[in-house]
Amino acid sequence: MKHWEDFKVGESTELGSHAITEAEILAFARKYDPQPFHTDPEAARRSIFGGLIASGWHTCALMMRLSVEANRREQAAATGSPGLDSCRWLKPVRPGDTLTGRTEVLATWPSKSKPIGFVRRRVEMINQHDEVVVAIVGITMYRRRTAGAVATA
Amino acid sequence: MTYFEDVAVGDIMRFGRYEVTQEEIVEYARQFDPQPFHLDEEAGRQSMFGGLIASGWHTGAMFIRMVVEHMTPVHATTGAMGFDDLKWVKPVRPGDVLSVESEVKEKVAGRRPDRGTVKIESRIENQRGEVVMSLVSLVIYLRR
Repeated sequence: MKHWEDFKVGESTELGSHAITEAEILAFARKYDPQPFHTDPEAARRSIFGGLIASGWHTCALMMRLSVEANRREQAAATGSPGLDSCRWLKPVRPGDTLTGRTEVLATWPSKSKPIGFVRRRVEMINQHDEVVVAIVGITMYRRRTAGAVATA
Repeated sequence: MTYFEDVAVGDIMRFGRYEVTQEEIVEYARQFDPQPFHLDEEAGRQSMFGGLIASGWHTGAMFIRMVVEHMTPVHATTGAMGFDDLKWVKPVRPGDVLSVESEVKEKVAGRRPDRGTVKIESRIENQRGEVVMSLVSLVIYLRR
């Protein structure tokens, strides 16, 4: 089991990969982000993007999926997230792209009132051309190994 | 159509009505966020959340659906660069009805003559008027 105490600042982890299909892009966008450049390949060709692109919220959802799977592999005791400092959609994501998740620990600190700790991390999705398509800085909560006193990180 | 020039700091927009169902919470979670408290009522009850709750990213997806339905048709926007300061404040549960209140916080002209960036703070509220999520979006507006 991986607890809060096991996260070290500077530690970098690969989260795994996902190849995104046109069908997935269309299904997500039709339900949640029905803008023509996400839902209509022909309209997308005529848009400033020059072709169908995934909703940024879809790319983030896939990043979450890879994070959850990585947590499961590591048996990490994640208990949710209070939020994100930032999210930037840096490059369009297109059908056939293979996105690989990568995360780096930026800071850790314990909760003062609960037996958990916080991990601030940068998470990126990188395409097959080695371009970062989305980058977030967010906070994840993990259970602490011991609920007793801890030194402030 | 509302263009970059038409947006003023302090403008407030209220829009959207999204009924959250258990079926949709579980469907989203299966695809994108398969943690027990998003998938299963019983597991949710045993968690610190005391019941099934929506993935925070699902709340974000429901937010963008309301934006695309109500704002995009009348605002000359061409996507967003991203967002800052997203907070998942309260759990979203089956049966909740969400709506949005957005406030223009800042206009950034930038270097491009045909567009500008507008920082818009949005608060997603439930049927009791409680803020469940908030964020500051960096929305790209076209100029007239």
